[in-house]
Amino acid sequence: MLTTETPGALALDLDEDRSPQGADTAADAGGVQLHAGALTAAAAAAALLAACGGGSDTDAGTPNTVPQSAKPATDVEAARFLGQAGFSASDSDITALKSGGYGRWLDQQFGMARSTSHTDWLIAKGYGAESYKYSLSGMDATLWRKLISSPDQLRQRVVLALSEIFVVSMNGLPVAWPQFATAGYVDMLEARCFGSFRDLLEGVTLSPAMGVYLAMRGNRKEDPKTGRQPDENYAREVMQLFTIGLNQLNADGSAKTSNGKPVDTYTLDQITALARVFTGWDFDTTNANGTDFSYMNRPMVHTAARFSTGAKQVLDVTIPESADGPTAMKTALDTLAAHPNVGPFIGRQLIQRLVASNPSAGYVQRVAAVFDDNGKGERGDLRAVIRAILLDNEARTAATAPSGGKLREPVQRLVQWMRTVGVTSPGDLWAIGDCSNPASRLGQSPLRSGSVFNFFRPGYVPPNSQLGANNVTAPEFQLCNESTVAGYLNFMQTLVNSGIGDLKPDYTADLALAADAASLVQRQATLLGGVSEATLATITTAVGSIAATTDAGKLNRVKAGWLLLLASPDYQIQK
Amino acid sequence: MTHVSRLASLQRREFLKHASALSIAGTAAPWALQLAAINEAAAATAAGDYKALVCLFLYGGNDYGNTLVPYDAASHAAYATIRQTLATPRDQLAATALTPSVALPDGRQMALAPTLSGIKPVFDAGRLAVMLNIGTLMQPTTLAQYKAQSVPLPPKLFSHNDQQSLWQSSKPEGAISGWGGRLGDRFLSGNGNATFTCINVSGNAVFMSGGQAVQYQMSSSGAVAINGVTRSLFGSQACSEALRTLVTGERSHWMESELNRVTARSISAQSTISTALSNVTLATPFETGSLAAQLNMVAKLIAARSSLGAARQVFFVSLGGFDLHDVLVDQHPKLLQQVGNAMASFDTALTELGVNNNVTTFTASDFGRTLSSNGDGSDHGWGSHHLVMGGAVKGGRFYGQLPSVSVNGPDDVGQGRLLPTTAVDQLAATLALWMGVSVSDLPSVLPGIGNFSQQDLGFMTA
Repeated sequence: MLTTETPGALALDLDEDRSPQGADTAADAGGVQLHAGALTAAAAAAALLAACGGGSDTDAGTPNTVPQSAKPATDVEAARFLGQAGFSASDSDITALKSGGYGRWLDQQFGMARSTSHTDWLIAKGYGAESYKYSLSGMDATLWRKLISSPDQLRQRVVLALSEIFVVSMNGLPVAWPQFATAGYVDMLEARCFGSFRDLLEGVTLSPAMGVYLAMRGNRKEDPKTGRQPDENYAREVMQLFTIGLNQLNADGSAKTSNGKPVDTYTLDQITALARVFTGWDFDTTNANGTDFSYMNRPMVHTAARFSTGAKQVLDVTIPESADGPTAMKTALDTLAAHPNVGPFIGRQLIQRLVASNPSAGYVQRVAAVFDDNGKGERGDLRAVIRAILLDNEARTAATAPSGGKLREPVQRLVQWMRTVGVTSPGDLWAIGDCSNPASRLGQSPLRSGSVFNFFRPGYVPPNSQLGANNVTAPEFQLCNESTVAGYLNFMQTLVNSGIGDLKPDYTADLALAADAASLVQRQATLLGGVSEATLATITTAVGSIAATTDAGKLNRVKAGWLLLLASPDYQIQK
Repeated sequence: MTHVSRLASLQRREFLKHASALSIAGTAAPWALQLAAINEAAAATAAGDYKALVCLFLYGGNDYGNTLVPYDAASHAAYATIRQTLATPRDQLAATALTPSVALPDGRQMALAPTLSGIKPVFDAGRLAVMLNIGTLMQPTTLAQYKAQSVPLPPKLFSHNDQQSLWQSSKPEGAISGWGGRLGDRFLSGNGNATFTCINVSGNAVFMSGGQAVQYQMSSSGAVAINGVTRSLFGSQACSEALRTLVTGERSHWMESELNRVTARSISAQSTISTALSNVTLATPFETGSLAAQLNMVAKLIAARSSLGAARQVFFVSLGGFDLHDVLVDQHPKLLQQVGNAMASFDTALTELGVNNNVTTFTASDFGRTLSSNGDGSDHGWGSHHLVMGGAVKGGRFYGQLPSVSVNGPDDVGQGRLLPTTAVDQLAATLALWMGVSVSDLPSVLPGIGNFSQQDLGFMTA
C-alpha cells in the first residue's frame, strides 16, 4: 500500500491556493486610536483564570478526579473543558456546563444521536454515481461537515483522535470507491467509539478501508510451491500501532527495562506467525469493481480456502489447526486486546489527543486502570476511559508547568474557530477541500495522513529546543515548521476575512461588542479558552487602534481580534 | 583536512565572525563548539570551495530486488523463481543492464530497473555508484551472530519509523539529532548564515537536526511570507505589529517558546531566501511531481549559495509510497521512474551550474524488503542496495558485497531479508570525510563508527 511517507511531509503538489490572498479588502479601514478600557478588560479576564471549583458535591470522585457533578466556576474554565472534550465553546454551551456540570454534559454527549452518516451524505449528494467510482470527491467535504457542524462534538473529537491512532488515509486506497471506503471507516469509528475497545479493534481490523490500507484484504495463505508467504503488514501494525506497541509497558506507560534496555513485546517470528491468522479475508461482495459499493460499509468476510493451514500463534498463545478463520481471528484480537499494554498504550495517546502532550505517569496509570476495569469489572470501556481522561485533576486544572498542555493540531484550530463563529454552509457544500498543503493551508487534513504512522508520532521530541533538552514529547510539533506556521496564519487570515466557498463566519455577536475593543477581545478570548493577561492586553490595544466609527471599522476590529488570538502562542498551546 | 595547518590564525577570527549567526541556531551555547569544528568550518570557508550533501529518502522501505535486478542468466532465473509474479522479465532489462568498470564476481551482472533508465547514462559517465547490501548495523555482524543474538543488533528491526530513525540518526524513534545535522554542526561557523546549513524541502526528518544545527524547513515552491506581518493586517499597521510581537516574542512556556522560535526563524529566513532565489536562473528542465520539484528547489538553492553565505550544506528530499506490501508491480516502477528522472535532471542541473563535483546525492530508505513474494508485494526487510551520485563519486561501479540470489542464503535472515554487509555508518563516514570532517572527528558525527575498521569505503575522490 502507498502508506508510508514522512510524517509531516511538505512534499505535496502545490496545486491549490498558490496566490497569496491578502486580506486587505475594501472592507478594511485604517485607524490608529487606542481604545479606552482595554487594560481594565485584560485585568478582568485574568481574574477569570481561577482554579477549578465544584468541591462540595456528594458523589466525590477519587482524590485525583473531580466529581461527576463538578461545575466550572468561570466561563474560561468551561471553555477550557469544551476545548478538550469537543472543539469549541458557545455562550449556550458555557451556560449549560456551568449549571449542569461536567458529568451531565458528558452524559448528554454520550447519549446524543449521530448526525447523517458520511456514507448517507455522499449518496444523497450523488457521489455514488459510477462517474465517481475512482474518486475521492465529496469525502473532504463530509469530513469537514461533521467536524464543523455536527452537534455531538465529543463524538467528533474522539473520532478525530481515533482516526489518528487507527490511521487510514484516503490517499492510500487504490481501489474502486475509495471515498466510500473512507466514509464507511469513519462511520464505523463513530458507531464504536463509545463502546468497547475490543469491538473497536474488530471494526478496524475487518473494515474494508483498513483491509486495503494495510493489505490484509486479499491476503492469502502460504504456497510452498511458489514460496509465497502471507503478507505481514497488518500483523505488524496491529501490534505496533493499534494495541500493544513495541515495548513492554508498566501500568503508568513507562517502558519496562532489562539491563537498562526496553523489553520488546514481540519478535519477527511472532509477526510471521500472526500474519498467518490474517489470511482469507476480503470484501463482502462478488464484484468489487461493480457499481454497487455497499460492501464498503460491511465488515470483510472470510474464505476458508485462502486461510493458512496448520496451527498459528498470537504472541505466546497457540491457535489450534482446527480453528477456522473467524475463530482464529477472534483469539488473536481477544489476546491482543487483553494484553496489559493496551491500557497505558492507548490511554496515553488518547490523553495526548485530548488534553496534554506529556501526561504524568500517575495520570496515565489512572486512565489505564479505568481501561482495565470500569468499576463494573468490564475491560476496555471507552466511555469510562474518556470520562476518566476529561475529569482527571490533571485535565481539570490549567497546566502551569512549562511542559504542560499541548499544541492544538492545525485541524483542531480551524474547526474550533469555525464552530466558534458559527460557520455554516447554506448550500450544504462544505467545500473546504484538502488542507494538506503546508505552504498555503494547514499541512494537515482529516483522514489524509502521509502514512499509518499518523501526522505526528506520540513519542516525537522537537530537536534543538527546550523541549528536546528536557526530553519532552510534543507530537503536534512534528507538523510545526517554518513553512506550516506561515501557511496556517495566511490561510486563517483568508478564512477570517471572507470564509471559504459558501462557508461564512457569523460575526453578529462580535459586531455588537466591537465599539468596545476590550469587551470584544475578551469575549473572543474566553470562547477560545482564555489567553494570558499580557496577550489580551496586546491584542486589545491593537484592535482598539482601529477606528470603530464605521461599520467597516467595526468589522475589521472583529477580524483582527480573531486572527491575533488564533496566532497567539497562548491560544495555540492548549493548557 | 589539508588546509587546517595554515589556518590556525583564522580560527578565532572565523569563530567570532560567525558567533552571531550561530546564536540563531539553537539553545546550546555556541561556545560549546569544539575547536575541531571551527577548524573544519574555517577550512571550508577559506578554501573558497563549496560542498553539499543531498539525502534522498525513499519512505516506506524500497524493494531492493526490483531496483537492482540480477541480470546474468543464472541469477535472473533464481530471482524469477523466488519472486514469481513480482519478477521483472529478463528481456525488459537489456537496456538498463550495467557494465561496471570493475566487474562483479562470478560473472554476475546487474541491471537497473527499466524505469531507472534516466540515470543509466550517469552511471556510464562514472558519476553514479551502487552500494550493495547496505543497512543499519551496530557492528559487523555475521548470520550466526544474528541468529544467536550474540552481538548488539539495531533495535526495532523491520519497524518503519524506528528504522527510518536509525538510518538517519543511529537511534530508534525519539532521537533528537541525525548525522546530517551533526555534520552540519561541524560547519555552522563557516557558513554566513547558520540557518541555511541544513535545509529540508520535504518536511521533517531527524536526519537534519544536529546538536546546534537546526533544520530549516521550506516548501519546494519556496519560502512562505506571513501576509499579516509583511503588510498591514485588516488595514491596521498596529495589528500587524501586534501580530509580529505575538508570534515572535520570548515565552517562558516551552511549547509557546518553541512555536515562536520557529515562527521568528520563518520570518527572518523567508526574506533572505526569497531575495536569493529571485536572482537564480536555471535552464535545466525538471518533470512535474513532488520529488522533481524538491530537487529543482535544491538546485536553485545551490545556485544561490553565495547569497545564502553557504560553504557547506546538507539537504533532504524524499519520496513516499515505497511500502508496497501489494500492488508492487504496478506502483514500484512508477516510483522509481520519478526517482531516476529527478536524479538525472538534478545531475544535469548541477553540471549547468558548474558544481557537479561539489554536490553528492545518496539514496536511503527505511529498510530493504523480502525477496520472496507475498502474492503481489514484499514485506519489511533490512539490507538494501543504494545509489550515490555526483561528480566526486568514483562511479560506474559497485561497492560492497553482492548478496546471493536466494532464500535462506548466506546473507538472509528470512525470506530474502538481507543481513547488511555494509553499515550505514560506513557510508556516512565516507561522505563526512569528503565534506571535510577529520578522521579523528568522525565519532562526533557518528558515535558508533569506531565499531567498524573500514571507515572510508573509497567511493569518493579526495
